[in-house]
Amino acid sequence: MKKRLDLLPYALISPLIIFIILLALTPAAFTTIAAFFRVQPLNPPTKFSGLENFRDILHNADVISSLGNTFLYIIIGVTLSTILGIFFAVVLQRRFTGRSILIAVLILPWALPGVVEGILWTGIWDGNTGVLNSVLKSLHLISHYQVFLGQNKILTILAIEIVQVWQITPLSTILILAVLQNIPDDLYEAAKIDGSDARKSFLHITMPLIRPGIAIAVVQAIIATLNIFDQPYILNGAASTANSLAMETYAVSFQNLNFGQGYALSLLITVFTLLVSVVVAKFIYKKVEY
Amino acid sequence: MQPRKSGFRRFGVGFILSWSLIPIYWVINTSFQTDAQISDTPSHLFPPTPTLANYKALLIGDGELQHMVRRSTINIFIECISATFITVTLASLAAYAFARMEFKGRKFFLFMVVMTMAFPTYTTLIPMYKIMAMVHLVNTYLGIILCYVSGFLPLATWILFSYMQSLPAAIEEAGSVDGASRMQVFRLIVLPLAMPAIASTAVITFLFAWAQFIFPLVLASDESTQPLTVIVAAIQGRHVVPYSLLSTAGVIALSVPAVIALLTNRFIVSGLINGSVK
Amino acid sequence: MLDAIKVSKSTKSAAIALTVASALGFATLAAPAKAASPVTISVVLAAPPLPAPMLAEFTKATGITVKWTQLDWDSLQTKIAAAATANTFFADATDVDWSRVGQLGKLNWFLPMEKYVDTKALAADMPQLGSFSKNGHVVGIPYDASFMVTTVNKALFAKAGITKMPTTIDEYTADLKAVKAKGVVQYPLNIPFAAAEGLSTYWYETTGAFGGHILDANGKPLFTDPASAGYKAAAWMVNAVKTGLVPPGNINVADSQGQQTLMAKGKVASTFSDYSGNVGSLYEVPASSSVVGQVKYIPTPGLKGTAANLGNPDGIGIPAKAKNPEAAAKFISWFTDGKNMADFAGASGTARTWVGYFFPSRLSGIAILNKKGSIIGGDVLASMLKTSAAVFPQGAPAWYPEFSGAVYSNLHAAAAGTKTVDAAIKAIGAVATKLSSGK
Repeated sequence: MKKRLDLLPYALISPLIIFIILLALTPAAFTTIAAFFRVQPLNPPTKFSGLENFRDILHNADVISSLGNTFLYIIIGVTLSTILGIFFAVVLQRRFTGRSILIAVLILPWALPGVVEGILWTGIWDGNTGVLNSVLKSLHLISHYQVFLGQNKILTILAIEIVQVWQITPLSTILILAVLQNIPDDLYEAAKIDGSDARKSFLHITMPLIRPGIAIAVVQAIIATLNIFDQPYILNGAASTANSLAMETYAVSFQNLNFGQGYALSLLITVFTLLVSVVVAKFIYKKVEY
Repeated sequence: MQPRKSGFRRFGVGFILSWSLIPIYWVINTSFQTDAQISDTPSHLFPPTPTLANYKALLIGDGELQHMVRRSTINIFIECISATFITVTLASLAAYAFARMEFKGRKFFLFMVVMTMAFPTYTTLIPMYKIMAMVHLVNTYLGIILCYVSGFLPLATWILFSYMQSLPAAIEEAGSVDGASRMQVFRLIVLPLAMPAIASTAVITFLFAWAQFIFPLVLASDESTQPLTVIVAAIQGRHVVPYSLLSTAGVIALSVPAVIALLTNRFIVSGLINGSVK
Repeated sequence: MLDAIKVSKSTKSAAIALTVASALGFATLAAPAKAASPVTISVVLAAPPLPAPMLAEFTKATGITVKWTQLDWDSLQTKIAAAATANTFFADATDVDWSRVGQLGKLNWFLPMEKYVDTKALAADMPQLGSFSKNGHVVGIPYDASFMVTTVNKALFAKAGITKMPTTIDEYTADLKAVKAKGVVQYPLNIPFAAAEGLSTYWYETTGAFGGHILDANGKPLFTDPASAGYKAAAWMVNAVKTGLVPPGNINVADSQGQQTLMAKGKVASTFSDYSGNVGSLYEVPASSSVVGQVKYIPTPGLKGTAANLGNPDGIGIPAKAKNPEAAAKFISWFTDGKNMADFAGASGTARTWVGYFFPSRLSGIAILNKKGSIIGGDVLASMLKTSAAVFPQGAPAWYPEFSGAVYSNLHAAAAGTKTVDAAIKAIGAVATKLSSGK
């Protein structure tokens, strides 16, 4: 059997590979090359410029401030969404009345269109008429309305990232829940007989076995937070208190029409995503078998 | 068995409900108010004079707006369902090969696919648009669907690969004893066992597609292909933003995935494997 | 790869072959079938479709069918840039904003309108046409003559004992202080300090009120001297925050948000730079406003007496990749006809009124409208329009979007207190100097 070249696996992966080459790698190759060119429709012609785009983009004060902000988004977002994702998945692990409805409820934040999410959370955080202020004041927790967004950097970034975490936690939960469903009940039964309590079972059975799910969830959260755009743009405008790398990519490309620099910044984001993801995946991911 | 104390569950259920539903409640609450009421301070925790005017404005009647909302709902449905179907089909086949077969270049191809997730949206937007224009797929369902499929295949493949890899080695052995071909093993054993992962992948792909904005904005030129998300954004006025109307559009946009999730989520948590395969 | 497909058939997974075929083969099948005649043009604007009866009339007269697509303004700008960069058709006629005239003109993303429409003959009847021209080419034709205007809640002013409306900025500032001091409202002035386009516009209008311009004819900054209008305008705006005239939450409030949640709710008493249609489309609409009958336009207070209002017109042009430029030009001529624009604004009843439309860009259109007296505050507005001035009389510079980004980021930072006004102005000036020198 093994002597001839086995064509079946290639047949199975070929549609996938064709898609990836034509519609993912080709566009990416285009931008990778363009990152080394001066592509400025307002300043033609397009010509090779070596590392100039990279040098210029890293001297852009807005890009520098967005780097720091994006770092905070990643730290807050990945931590919160992963912890919540594990928590939600464990809550949903066993059958109980209403579990189906709860899963449907869980995905709602993800299904809300970005524009509506923007008005919703603007209305919640707003410093003049916001719901949160309204509620806190009626509970006598604050004496006058507070400004949550735009003044204090950390508070602004935290408030914005909570919105993104609200949106991406459904994804983390589903990813982890799928893996959780695969853990045989016997393992828990056996542990219980050996005198293990719920906390110990969680630490010694659940956590090690859901690592592949967590790895995927963490990588997804890294990608999402590293590319955060809508939430800061809608909630805090272009201000450097909370601007993100993705917003700067957009501004450099579509506002300043300096596509070469935009591609250079994109390329840096891609490389950074890959490095972090590979490290994280290597660290968390471990093939499991039951 | 009940390894978790019901106190934990009660807290968890309460937390999930408040976490997801309080903000969503606010959207629903807003959709039954007028713009003037929405900006009242203190905010109205319930609609003071509940009105269906916003729902009527978007759904009932034969005006241009209602037509746009209806058409774009059909569009988004077609685009998301097709993209999900193709993505899950192709990803399952590829994941099976990656997870259960040895072949030259396995790691290379797998990494090549998964790494494309790292490309930021704005990196691929313009070249993708150029490619679609070249093959005359701008403003077609197929163009949008192919774009989605290429974008969501890597994650779908990774999820299914990871899941199929964790299935016990015994299944192939059992299959070969019965004289089944590998595709029969795939169809009769692996696919049913991977159902929770397949269902999860389908839900995830569908929701990713449902939330798309910038690609369909650029790839769809008119109402024949524009999905609901683009239309929801379009109804923002130039100078006056209709908060209540947009919230209503948000509720409409939520309801389809909510119903689908309700109908399909039993597959996510089907957990067929529990104790049945050693 | 092709071998692989053959093998796959033998394994009965026809799905693979089918999908590959769909990826490769359907491409040609899916190419949209183009009807040769009658002509259909695609019009994409950040506005709802024109009234159906009017579009039907146009089709009847010309045989041209209009397919209308509505997008939000931000998305539309992205789409224009994406389509032009990818060199791809997306519309026969679309938005040309006054602020993008320089950029679009320089990029040749739009066809020169003077080739399709007799723009010379138009100029006399269309005062804003000048600011839609760049380097001798007309990039777009203005169809809605919006401008910025000061709005005052007269009821709140009256509560503070103010019945004579201010005509200078000093009077205006004193009146706002009085409204605050008398406790009528805690924060009387609405300035949208969110780092977004609305903040730039507010500063331009205020600079105009202080009697100056933003840039000279070469694009050099005119606002860096502390005695200049632009500098004083920025200082006045930031000072209004520091002295408690502006709600603290406004640091992150965008233009329409402030108008809708503050001005329309009577939480503030005035918006110095408001949109010229807002009384009719917002403050007088009971579903959106609790100040019906209270908010009025006043001539913008200036240094010594009332000042010119800042023009904020919308235009329409033909993208370079348009499939039917001639038909699009016919549509634009009809669309910017004086009588038709008067109808959009409500001169001939609701069936012909275009929701959200404000004011004709032609004097002849305004004349028709004034005769019918069918626009809220029309008398005040008509005289304001005559004296309204373009931010950039020679057309916006090609680098306007980047410049505006610097304006709103820095003014926002000054209001938030992370920068002094002086540092903010210096930073904006440096950007203008760099961009205008063509670096």
